[in-house]
Amino acid sequence: MTISHHPPEDLLADFAAGKLEEAHQLVVGVHVAGCPRCTRFVQAIEQLAGAALEEVEPVSIAPDAFDRVMSRIQEAPRETAAPSLVSGMDDDVPPALRKYRIGKRRRVAPGLSLRPIELSSSGKSRAFLLRSAPGSRMLEHTHTGTELTLVLEGSFSHEGGRFGPGDFDYGDDEVDHRPIVGDEGPCLCLVAMTGDLRMNGLLGRLIGPFVRL
Amino acid sequence: MNAAIRALKMPIRAEAGLPRRVTARLSIGVSKGPKATVDWADLIGRVASDGDREAFKRLFEHFAPRIKGLMLKAGCSPDESEEIAQSTMIAVWRKAHQFDPATAGAPAWIFTIARNLRIDLFRRRARTDRLETGPELPDAPDQAEPADILISRGQDAARIASALKQLSAEQSTVVRLSFIEERPHPEIASALGIPLGTVKSRIRLAMNRLRDILDEEA
Repeated sequence: MTISHHPPEDLLADFAAGKLEEAHQLVVGVHVAGCPRCTRFVQAIEQLAGAALEEVEPVSIAPDAFDRVMSRIQEAPRETAAPSLVSGMDDDVPPALRKYRIGKRRRVAPGLSLRPIELSSSGKSRAFLLRSAPGSRMLEHTHTGTELTLVLEGSFSHEGGRFGPGDFDYGDDEVDHRPIVGDEGPCLCLVAMTGDLRMNGLLGRLIGPFVRL
Repeated sequence: MNAAIRALKMPIRAEAGLPRRVTARLSIGVSKGPKATVDWADLIGRVASDGDREAFKRLFEHFAPRIKGLMLKAGCSPDESEEIAQSTMIAVWRKAHQFDPATAGAPAWIFTIARNLRIDLFRRRARTDRLETGPELPDAPDQAEPADILISRGQDAARIASALKQLSAEQSTVVRLSFIEERPHPEIASALGIPLGTVKSRIRLAMNRLRDILDEEA
């Protein structure tokens, strides 16, 4: 897998600092997990954060904190078992997402279906798996917020280039894309989107009535 | 390993380009004990292999107040910061066997634990708020964890540390203030005594430079 499109550096730094909305954290995280180059960048920011931790002015903790920590450690000294796989061996769910509960596939337009990903928090962002038929022209859309797209299978192209597996596409409200899906097979993408899905864009109008994420 | 961390700190600690306030604050960090000679990785190793309580106490006394300090700076309440500091140290004890000094320095490793706990805390809080205001939504399963848990880290700690050394002190500082301490750009501008536009361009340049250096080293 040759990855040629990466998240912008400030997004990676926000990811390393843990500042992103859950949906964005998920999509960037899945990209980074498959991208040694971005893993190095994230590790570099974490090293800077470690240096910041060493330099920060210490703040007194509760006088009984150490004793409380030790008693909490003694209550349950070992890690609990690994979390069970929620989605199991679902057909189009990549391993990185198997800890998430993923909703049923919903057809939203001809050749286009999506599966919402249940997030644990109620942030302003949504995440879903989007599957488009080979050769189809994805819906023309603009967004009110940002849209992060990670290609899992297949490919699409727009004026920004061709995006294959592992590639990351960053769209903000100034981008007006009309991606075309590659002919080699269906295109499966992991998408995070901020902004209201009942937005004014065409995509919002089309899928809004169908989707309750 | 310690040498790598010391080296990493040098550009940040270099006084050139730092305003007095920041420099003064940095020097407070070194006031307690002979920090440079403490091998945190060794202490973590002793916790992992022997459940060494004395080693853990030294880690606790050094890191817990710093985690609290960093969380306060990044906008957590005092109660949340205290909770994250304590929970982080519990996780340091429990995960000590997972620590690999070749992949990260001890402070960076401890930072990632604290960061993940903060993410969990915020998500839990958001969920609680939602349940209070909108009871129609079922409680989400608690299984979702930050995706970066899945990231397998390369044996790159030394190489990354050497790349970071090539950032200027100014660049390291602005990245740290913006991303780690999460201070708004206007605040960084007044803290460093530079125009807002310079803050933005310096962050951008630092990010690009870091990416370039890491690509060269690869």
